[in-house]
Amino acid sequence: MDIQLIEKTNISMQLVIRGVDVPFMNALRRIMMAEVPSMAVDDVVFIENSSVLHDEVLAHRLGLVPLVTDLDSYNLPEKCTCKSEFGCNLCRVTLTLEAEASESITTIYTGDLKSEDPHITPVSDKIPLVKLAPGQKIKLEAYARLGTEMVHAKWQPVSVCAYKYLPQINIDEKLCNACEECVKICSKKVLVRDENKIVPKNTIECTLCQDCVKVCSSPPAINVAWSDDSYVFNIETDEVLPPERIVLEALNILNRKIDDLLGQLTTKNELLH
Amino acid sequence: MFIRILKETSDELRIEIEGEGHTFCNPLQKILLEDEEVEVAGYDIPHPLFTKTILYIHTKGERKPKTALREALNKLRERSDDFKSAFEKTLKKE
Repeated sequence: MDIQLIEKTNISMQLVIRGVDVPFMNALRRIMMAEVPSMAVDDVVFIENSSVLHDEVLAHRLGLVPLVTDLDSYNLPEKCTCKSEFGCNLCRVTLTLEAEASESITTIYTGDLKSEDPHITPVSDKIPLVKLAPGQKIKLEAYARLGTEMVHAKWQPVSVCAYKYLPQINIDEKLCNACEECVKICSKKVLVRDENKIVPKNTIECTLCQDCVKVCSSPPAINVAWSDDSYVFNIETDEVLPPERIVLEALNILNRKIDDLLGQLTTKNELLH
Repeated sequence: MFIRILKETSDELRIEIEGEGHTFCNPLQKILLEDEEVEVAGYDIPHPLFTKTILYIHTKGERKPKTALREALNKLRERSDDFKSAFEKTLKKE
C-alpha cells in the first residue's frame, strides 16, 4: 500500500492511494461522511424572539452553522458517562445569543453567538443568522452536541469526500500527428502541446470522459485508461475538523467495528433462537 | 453493533448484524470471497429503513464458516492498520 499526498491545506486534502480495493475505499468514504462525529447545535431554548423568523426556522439555521469540533474533550451524548438526557459539560456546549436592533435594521451574525467553551465556536463569524428591524429582539440559548450524519446532515464533517480511479493517459507517438484537437476538447486542460507532440500534463485532473479519444483520428493515437487499484481521493471539510483527523478517525471507527464483531463472535457460541 | 446467529452448521453461517450496512459488510464480503475455501459469501439488507443486515457464508466444507469469518475480519483489520501506518508515514513526510 502506498499513499502519496498531492495537496493539503487546512480544509482540503488530495491523496493518491495505491494498492487498495474498492470496497475498502468505499467503506472509508462512507464512514468519513456518515460516522465521524462533529459538533452542531441540536436544541435551542428561546427566551425571546420578536424577529420575523419563526423559532423553528431560526433554530434550523443555528443547527446548520458549522462549529469547530474538539473530538478529544467531548463525548457523544449516547456514550457519555453522565447518562443524562439533558447532557453534561462533557457532552454539551451552550451558546448564547442576545441581540436587539435599536435604530436601524441590524443583521445578526454567527459572531454574535457567545460560547461557554472558547474552543467550540462557529467556523466563521460572518454567517448571517437573522435580520432585525428596530425594536426587535432575540434572546436564546443553543445547546450544541456531537452527532453523526446518520441522524442529521448537519453533523457531516466533510463537504467533499470522493474517490476516482487514477487515470492513465498514453499517446502513441507514431499515430499522433499533433493536430491539437484533443487539446482543444479537453475541459480539464489535461493535454498540452510540447513542440511537435502532445503530452499529458496534470493527469490527476482527467475525468475519464474519453472526449479526446473520440475526437482523435481512427485508430485513435490517444488511450485513456485507469488502474483498478489506484485512486485519487479528495476530501474537503467545512473547517470543523482537519482533513487528516477525519481520515484517522474513520480508520479508528472501522477498527472498532472489526474488534466489536470479533469479540461478539467469540462470546456468542450458541444459537439464540 | 449487535449480532444474532440465525443459522450455524458445519458449512453454513447466517448472522444478523444490527446497526451495520454496506459500509462494513461490503469490504467483508470482498475479503471472504478471496478465500479459496469459501463458496458463497454475501449480505442482504431486507429493508432500507432498518439497519439490519444479514450476512451469510457457505464454505466448501473443509473449514467452519465462523473460522473463515474470523480470518476475514483479521485480514480487514490488517489492511486498515496498513492504511493507517501508510497514511501516518505520508503525513510525517510533510
